[in-house]
Amino acid sequence: MIRVLFFGPVAERVGARQLDLPFRAGLRWQDVRDMLQPRYPDAFALVSIVAVDGERVRDEPGPPLSDRCEIVFMSPFSGG
Amino acid sequence: MRDPVRLQQEGFSQDEEIRALRAESKRIGGIASFLGCARDFSGEGKVGAIDFDAYLPMALAELQKLRAEAIERFGLIGARIVHRLGNIQAGDDIVFIATAAEHRAPALEACRWLIDELKERVPIWKKEIVADGEMAGTGDQ
Repeated sequence: MIRVLFFGPVAERVGARQLDLPFRAGLRWQDVRDMLQPRYPDAFALVSIVAVDGERVRDEPGPPLSDRCEIVFMSPFSGG
Repeated sequence: MRDPVRLQQEGFSQDEEIRALRAESKRIGGIASFLGCARDFSGEGKVGAIDFDAYLPMALAELQKLRAEAIERFGLIGARIVHRLGNIQAGDDIVFIATAAEHRAPALEACRWLIDELKERVPIWKKEIVADGEMAGTGDQ
């Protein structure tokens, strides 16, 4: 299982704070984005930061996701 | 003593945070602080409150990293960062940063650096609630 989390304005546009997706070996975070982006285009239009298991990732080939990992698609931060 | 880096719903006491900082060392020659408050206006109109949401584990880890970086980079004796989450009414406190150093310049510079970096690096989002109910925007400045 892959847990996808959303916060702030992205969560509002998705209409949920969490989605669970089935795990498949070899899956990368970009595959998850490509699955979800067409379903939530307005939400993903805001996304500029992605974290996997609490670490920010770059949009380049990284290691495949592990089972029970956590991906967060985030808009620019606005704390403070 | 409470943790020097915290994310919390409840308010905080600037006096308590400064007291905790001062208790760390008698080498402290200067303490600088920044208090962020909820404005009652934005470009969209009158703001009644601001909702803050955060990706908690990453936000806390990033704040702890920021504090450690500031201590190293500016040679601080200590630093404290407290950010509130949830619904904050206009006029209430949002964030408090205090930095202590042997001299005023590094304390002041570190305090400015910390709030600027916090805005860039810590996964916290604000939503302004206009006085009559709905969202105004992120209102980030």
